[in-house]
Amino acid sequence: MYGLVALGYHVTWATSRTLNFSQGHVVMVGAVVAYAVHVAAGWPLVIALGVTVIASAAFGLVVERVAVRPFFRTGSPVWLLSTIALGIIVENVAMLTFGKDARAFPSTLALKPVFVLGAGVYPQELLLPVVGVALMGATQLFYHRTFYGRQLKAVAWDSEAAGLMGIDVPRAVAVAYALSAVLAGVAGVLLAPLLNVSPTMGTLIGLKAFAVAIIGGLGSAAGIVVAGFLYGLVEALVAGYVSTGAREIVGFAVVIAMLVVRPWGLGGARPARRV
Amino acid sequence: MKRGWFTLLAIVGVAALAGAPAAQQAPIKVGLAAAVSGGSAASGEAIKRGLSIAIDEVNARGGLLGGRKLELVVRDDEGNPQKGVTIARELVEREKVAAVFGGLHTTVALAQVPVWHELATPYVGTWAAGTNITRNGKKPNFVFRVSANDDEVDKFLVRYAAEQLKRGKPGLLLENTAWGQSNEAGLTKWFGERGVKAVGIEKFNWNDPDMSPQLLRLKQGGADVVMLVANAPEGAQVVKSKAKVGWEVPIVSHWGISGGRFAELTGELSEGVVFVQTYSFFGRQNARGEAVLKALRDKYGVKGPEDVTAPVGTANAYDALHLVALAIEQAKSAEGARVRDALEELKAEYAGLIKSYKRPFTSEQHDALTERDYIMVVWKGGKIVPVP
Repeated sequence: MYGLVALGYHVTWATSRTLNFSQGHVVMVGAVVAYAVHVAAGWPLVIALGVTVIASAAFGLVVERVAVRPFFRTGSPVWLLSTIALGIIVENVAMLTFGKDARAFPSTLALKPVFVLGAGVYPQELLLPVVGVALMGATQLFYHRTFYGRQLKAVAWDSEAAGLMGIDVPRAVAVAYALSAVLAGVAGVLLAPLLNVSPTMGTLIGLKAFAVAIIGGLGSAAGIVVAGFLYGLVEALVAGYVSTGAREIVGFAVVIAMLVVRPWGLGGARPARRV
Repeated sequence: MKRGWFTLLAIVGVAALAGAPAAQQAPIKVGLAAAVSGGSAASGEAIKRGLSIAIDEVNARGGLLGGRKLELVVRDDEGNPQKGVTIARELVEREKVAAVFGGLHTTVALAQVPVWHELATPYVGTWAAGTNITRNGKKPNFVFRVSANDDEVDKFLVRYAAEQLKRGKPGLLLENTAWGQSNEAGLTKWFGERGVKAVGIEKFNWNDPDMSPQLLRLKQGGADVVMLVANAPEGAQVVKSKAKVGWEVPIVSHWGISGGRFAELTGELSEGVVFVQTYSFFGRQNARGEAVLKALRDKYGVKGPEDVTAPVGTANAYDALHLVALAIEQAKSAEGARVRDALEELKAEYAGLIKSYKRPFTSEQHDALTERDYIMVVWKGGKIVPVP
């Protein structure tokens, strides 16, 4: 699941060398929108999912337009702060409109656990990696098979050359932000039945997904998928055999170690040394 | 000409000010410092209802100190100790309240203890059960409580687990806060009195999504009963995780889980979790119980006892307010220090909702309710009902 959110970091990083640091808040937005449509208004889940995808994409576009584009051209790293600021604004708007309480998001897949090899899991939890992998596959297809996707790839490869070849670079970046937000928004809908819906639900997820993106390598989709899986596994093992308190300590210690030893990540290519 | 108008206005203004006290006396303000938002918001709302109903009764009788009405000022501590200290000062220094009633979080209440003493304002806890809140070593002690006290609750829970359920291998599952610590000490002590040692002590943090590792460790340790100390959001995750690890074990819980949307968050899984309360609106009610239920129905649209959310908050706060009102009358003053003295030496007997209070507080005992006043309840169909 971290992998899915982390992939969102990769998508924008690859095209524009910028990130939406409020990815975690997009997860929350996805869950809250789905809650509003599905639970509060009582519409079917499919419609809720559709609305969520549209809302997340729109939010991604807003982030790009408001918090990234004004600073992108100047090459200043202000987008780092402005995306965080936007996330905090959204969180507080959610507190005002949705309320601070955690609310239940009913799902038939999260009612009764099933038992696999003696370990209980909720079907919802099994759904996560399935949808995750499917979405990653879809993202790859989008990149390789569609016109827009190829444009994105071209921009990722060399934005100047792509611009010279007639590709609308700012638009490609905007599309990347929308795509990135959709990945996080869908993750939010999938997580809602497990974590309950609340305005603060996404903060830690966003942070951990960033850790996963660093470990996997911001430039490598495959590295991130593997890292997302490994990170979840390590967390479970530490929580199970050491203590729950050590979970976050170990997880983020790994990130720091990674930054020292192999800053380009598991799957990333070592950047050429400039002499 | 301009000057003339100004003088006229000034004269009218002074006259209005002078006339005011004669027409209506200034109200006596009392404060509520509690979580009225967040995962435990239901607790704050319940306390507010209890206080409001009691205030209406006092005001209907003509108020206090010869006609001064009571007025409630509510501030949100958001479950945050720093915020708790800020609103404590605001209530006393800006709003000039005569006394303050407290909310659900022990962490907040503990942080506020020095403030009440510094500002010489009596505080009456209506929920937070941390032992050291009232047993704080201060003299004179400004902190009172009409609620449970962890030490007494732990004694009560241990007796239930040992005598009713006949379990001898308890596993402790506590939140990683001052409140959890307070209960770790109490549970260990009272199990120890019976020669029982916990097979495991596990903790979790606020907002933790999954408690399976802790539960698995308790299971592997051979626990035959889980003693739970949690608020509603985390308590819900404990119950969900318990179903996930497929462990059929009774949970005996402190009452934090009754302060939020526990039933909504857990659905059917809430069935069978037993926990402690100071009062239940089910069954035969005394005259006050009938009156409070009627007021809840008329004022808040509560249909019956099964609809009273977080009932202990309402019951405790109701009795707490009447006790403070009696103290203000006895002190013949709304000044903090004198109200405090009167609370400690309350002469009038108060036939309250939870019980009949006769000299509820002394200089040694600042808890009006003890283990003898508690009852055991269970979630059934999303409602809190007494254990059969």
